[in-house]
Amino acid sequence: MPAASPAIGQADLIRPVRARDSPVTPLSQNPHRGDGPKGILLMPPIIDARTVSKVFRQRQSTGGFSGALRGFFAPVTKEVRAVEEISFAIEAGEAVGYLGPNGAGKSTMIKMMTGILAPSSGSLSVLGRRPIEERIANAREIGVVFGQRSQLWWDLPLNDSFDLARHIYRLPEAQFKASRAEMVAMLSLESFIDRPVRQLSLGQRMRAEIAMALLHAPKILFLDEPTIGLDVVAKDVVRKFLARINRERATTIILTTHDLQDIEEICPRLIMVDDGRLLFDGPLPALRTTFGARRRLTLDFSADPGELILDGARPLPSEGLRRDFEIADDERSLIDLIRALPAGAPLSDARLHEPGIEEVIRTHYQGRSA
Amino acid sequence: MVGREDATSDSMTGEVRAPAPPGINLALYWHLMRLRARTRLQYRASLVLAWISQGFGYAGTFASIWVILNRFGGLGGWSWPEMAFLLGFHTFAYAIGAVFTFTQFRGMDAMVREGEFDMLLVRPVNPWSFIVFSGVDLQYGSHFVLGAGLMITGAAALPLAWDAGLMLRFLASLLSAALLTGAMFTIIGAFAFVLGRSRYVFGLYFDLWELSRYPIGIYTAPLQIILFTVLPFAYMSFVPVSVMIGKPVPLLGGAAPVLALAAGPILALMAALFWRACLRRHQDIGG
Repeated sequence: MPAASPAIGQADLIRPVRARDSPVTPLSQNPHRGDGPKGILLMPPIIDARTVSKVFRQRQSTGGFSGALRGFFAPVTKEVRAVEEISFAIEAGEAVGYLGPNGAGKSTMIKMMTGILAPSSGSLSVLGRRPIEERIANAREIGVVFGQRSQLWWDLPLNDSFDLARHIYRLPEAQFKASRAEMVAMLSLESFIDRPVRQLSLGQRMRAEIAMALLHAPKILFLDEPTIGLDVVAKDVVRKFLARINRERATTIILTTHDLQDIEEICPRLIMVDDGRLLFDGPLPALRTTFGARRRLTLDFSADPGELILDGARPLPSEGLRRDFEIADDERSLIDLIRALPAGAPLSDARLHEPGIEEVIRTHYQGRSA
Repeated sequence: MVGREDATSDSMTGEVRAPAPPGINLALYWHLMRLRARTRLQYRASLVLAWISQGFGYAGTFASIWVILNRFGGLGGWSWPEMAFLLGFHTFAYAIGAVFTFTQFRGMDAMVREGEFDMLLVRPVNPWSFIVFSGVDLQYGSHFVLGAGLMITGAAALPLAWDAGLMLRFLASLLSAALLTGAMFTIIGAFAFVLGRSRYVFGLYFDLWELSRYPIGIYTAPLQIILFTVLPFAYMSFVPVSVMIGKPVPLLGGAAPVLALAAGPILALMAALFWRACLRRHQDIGG
């Protein structure tokens, strides 16, 4: 599909909205805000990333046997900048989608926030701590679900894995039982809690993984591709549950995904990265404007209207009874547009097409790789 | 290794959380061992088969050594009862260390490569301890039976005065040798953080491990020096057993009684430092 607007595909024209410059969640709406005597915000962000970078050294292979031999004796490495000077701030209780194509640095960022990897430069604070320096204290207050890894005990009943979580987080018996009962009810785990994990379906297992990550009531839940490989029904259950846990428990959610529907249903805020860099940070609806995506108007006529000029609309290649236009002004309604038609134009139908988030992003990435 | 454990006031909800109990989470390690045992006992037939096959393998090796010793009257100045005690000690002490470390660290490179290790880092646990206790291996039943049997056979024919002092030395020597085994496997496992693949190092380990079954005096001086220093396999059984049964220890002389007990803890400390350095490197440049 060709670029829908001149701005799409031109990364230099995209102005990411940085959380630091323009907070996404209005502080007045933050249920956890703590105001000082003069209304000064006391509470720092729950996650604060400032110009965080992560650089890996990757071995380069020139291919073939001679290349392999050369690589063995004199390995050539190149620097891979997986995350490059990324800054954002996340307030308690937010649900943030972290989106980007493969190799964009999503998982690396999650690994830094969870204490697995150390940032190469910049500063990263999670719950007021540096995750790599205070890994254990950080781990006690976060929950992590990696869609393609399991923390469940494969050969034993699911309940044994939950019991293991009790020991790992040193939960008092009463707190553990209450938390487990809540998770079992909310995620409908009752029917398979006594079955060995190896016998569970992928959807059941993902529900169990999420429950396991929440048993200790973490303040932040990190999810790396939680719906990967799930069928439509299982995805829906996971999405609804995550949205609910964010709404009712005010658990902060950071979620990486390829599936935009995850973000549309769970995360009011989106952080988009590409090649390790931050492309966009803001509310989901703002994405369209930021990327310059335009609405499209389709008009059907009962007779050929001839050459058609519409004020505020750019004609797209079309002919005959159906005509397409690109609308530059987001404020113009369909009625305004129809009113602008020449009098007597034999209009039979009119449709205004809002570009979907997926379309906006796909168009951007296609434009970038072109 | 334990992070900040103080009571934290939840600034978001005002709720005050109970402080997490400080120190080592012994209840967790005990629980992990029980879970592992339950898992392994689900496959009882394969466990029994493993005991039998390993038992026959070892018994065959020991029988051939016995035949050689009977035919030639000794090996490097060691009689059959002395050799039996040496072999028994070697097998038993190795098994104690291996129960906690061998299968665990043999799979370490796959664990790192496939990201399973990362799952440990996001939990409030010491990853080394978690790996060790969650992988406790019950397959060493035949090692213990054969090791104990050989030690008893040898000790019965040797003029050993089993007073409290010797008993204490025996137990401490076993512990030191087991620590040595655990430390070596930990070091090999830690290579996974640096090399990406470490499984082949186990092949090298077992070549040298075979050598450490025999009196070190039968080897050439350069190899002896290596086994006493860089690759300290001599301390797995030869040094502690020589000290207990009063046989001379080449190169070490009067230091042998102390080193027999200190080698394990020293190498364990070095392994802990090495593990920590490699893990740090993994976190700095891995991913």
